[in-house]
Amino acid sequence: MDGSSLQQRTAQAHLLRYGLAVVSLSIALGLALLAHNYNFRNVEVPVFLLAVALTAWYGGSGPAIVALLLSIAFFDYFFTEPRYTLYVTAADLPYLLVFTAFALLVAWFSAVRRRVERELRQARDHLQIEVSERTQQANLLNLTHDTIFVRDMSNVITYWNRGAQELYGWTAEDAVGKSSLQLLQTIFPVPIDDIRAELLRTGRWEGELRKTRADGSQVVVASRWSLRRDEQQRAVAILETNNDITERKRREQEIQGLNVELAKRSAELEAINKELEAFAYSISHDLRAPLRHMSGFTELLQKRATAALDEKSNRYIAMILDSAKRMGDLIDDLLAFSRIGRTETQKTSVSLAQLAREAVAEVRQDTQGRNIAWKIGALPDFSGDRAMLRLVLVNLISNAIKFTRTREHAEIEIGCLDENNDLIVFVRDNGVGFDMKYVNKLFGVFQRLHQSDAFEGTGIGLATVQRIIHRHGGKVWADGVVDGGASFYFSVPKPQGY
Amino acid sequence: METINKLGRILMVEDDPKDVELTLTALEEFNLANEVIVTRDGAQALDYLYCRGEYATRSCDNPAVMLLDLKLPKVDGLEVLKQVKSDEKLQLIPVVVLTSSKEEKDMVASYKLGVNAYVVKPVDFHEFVNAIKELGVFWAVINEPPPGSVRK
Repeated sequence: MDGSSLQQRTAQAHLLRYGLAVVSLSIALGLALLAHNYNFRNVEVPVFLLAVALTAWYGGSGPAIVALLLSIAFFDYFFTEPRYTLYVTAADLPYLLVFTAFALLVAWFSAVRRRVERELRQARDHLQIEVSERTQQANLLNLTHDTIFVRDMSNVITYWNRGAQELYGWTAEDAVGKSSLQLLQTIFPVPIDDIRAELLRTGRWEGELRKTRADGSQVVVASRWSLRRDEQQRAVAILETNNDITERKRREQEIQGLNVELAKRSAELEAINKELEAFAYSISHDLRAPLRHMSGFTELLQKRATAALDEKSNRYIAMILDSAKRMGDLIDDLLAFSRIGRTETQKTSVSLAQLAREAVAEVRQDTQGRNIAWKIGALPDFSGDRAMLRLVLVNLISNAIKFTRTREHAEIEIGCLDENNDLIVFVRDNGVGFDMKYVNKLFGVFQRLHQSDAFEGTGIGLATVQRIIHRHGGKVWADGVVDGGASFYFSVPKPQGY
Repeated sequence: METINKLGRILMVEDDPKDVELTLTALEEFNLANEVIVTRDGAQALDYLYCRGEYATRSCDNPAVMLLDLKLPKVDGLEVLKQVKSDEKLQLIPVVVLTSSKEEKDMVASYKLGVNAYVVKPVDFHEFVNAIKELGVFWAVINEPPPGSVRK
């Protein structure tokens, strides 16, 4: 359908163009005859030439030739002697030839002109479309907040978007036509020749550049370059987009600084820890040796001299031995306490019920001959260092056993409370209790609330408990009444999914 | 008295004279002290084991057991242990580390080097005497030492 209608249209156009030749020549003939009638001589030639020219102009070369032939025929028939015949006399021949040549020339000129004009018009339309497209693209580029500018191969800026104006403070009028390197005082991380080489090789380049704004302040930008080539593959322009990363760089530097500081601090801490370790080692080895000698030789002395010494002297010897033993216990406890701070906690899922059974079994020998009612409630599992948590329970339970010693019927309860995000475990007894006035002293190292001849101990047990629980992210506390029992609590964060 | 006849020689490496005296006293109490060689630092212990220096003239056989302190002058206990356990002639000697140090670090290092036992000297004298007695009885009497060690 489309093909046939197109054919139809072309045929119509042909008809019009050739019709034009006929019509214009007929009108020219009419005019010429009219002029001839009123005795205006030699009008016919310019009139025919005009008609031919008009036909050539609007109809093209085919109709022009038709017009030319018609004009020759009309000229010969109507205006050369003998008139009203197509007979050509020899005398008229040169005249006819000149006329033909002249008409051809006119036809050719007007055909050429017409063609040129058509081409020009097409070129203009084409340009107009291109311009409107480009303008649209440029407007789109202006919409973005990203900084975009284009420069030619000698770095002269040819396009400068609004983002560029916002970032650098130069308007498009300021920037276009200037060298981008000079305007922005660009500082490159590598030689610019290397960058250009990469750009020409791969068509793009990316990197961090330092540039200067119109107000003189510096910015660090993440810069991307794309190379534009023309149809002959010649590099013609560089499109550069910039993103301001000054703030990011500043933060990065800040973080770097902090990291350096952190590394320094942790090195310092490590050194201190090493010193502490050496100190603990020294206590472990060097302090125990003289102690062992003291008790060893005192005992040997006791063995040899008991018979010869009086009661008081023997008591002194016994006291020396007792003190040496006590000091040995203190050193051992202190070492255990310091070890908690130095060793890593190894978290696993721990059954608190199992731990409590083990702890009670461990302190069983201290309960011989005692009447103790144990009450052990339901205890959950949670995540923690098994050995350390076991030590916590052993310490709390042996405390409870110790401080209920004066009771005929001792009661010790171990249980668990559930509170929001924490699990709270308690060990409660009906022992001698303590005065809440001194509660803040309970968990300090070497702090004791009872005279040592009433209840033995080094005063490190509860400090150890606190240290372990703190390392598990929990809290410890206690309440008690003098002669009315005591409750010790510790909390640990609930494991996930509990 | 039969036990005494079977007694193996004990090499003791201990720098502290008081510890030496206490240990010897404890061994004496159980009649185990008659064949104890005491060396006072790691270098002397190695001289003894390699039959050199002041021990150049001894009949060069291995002790039935070596009681080794860790904190020693000149060559420390771990170095002696390392030397002994890496020498083909000496590596069969049972080595018991007898030290004041309860440090896990020392324990791990000793076991890694192939120590046969690790004993922390108890502060309490009774426990100390018991420990020494049991060590002496076990290593010098009960334990069958490797071939090439001295039996009296």
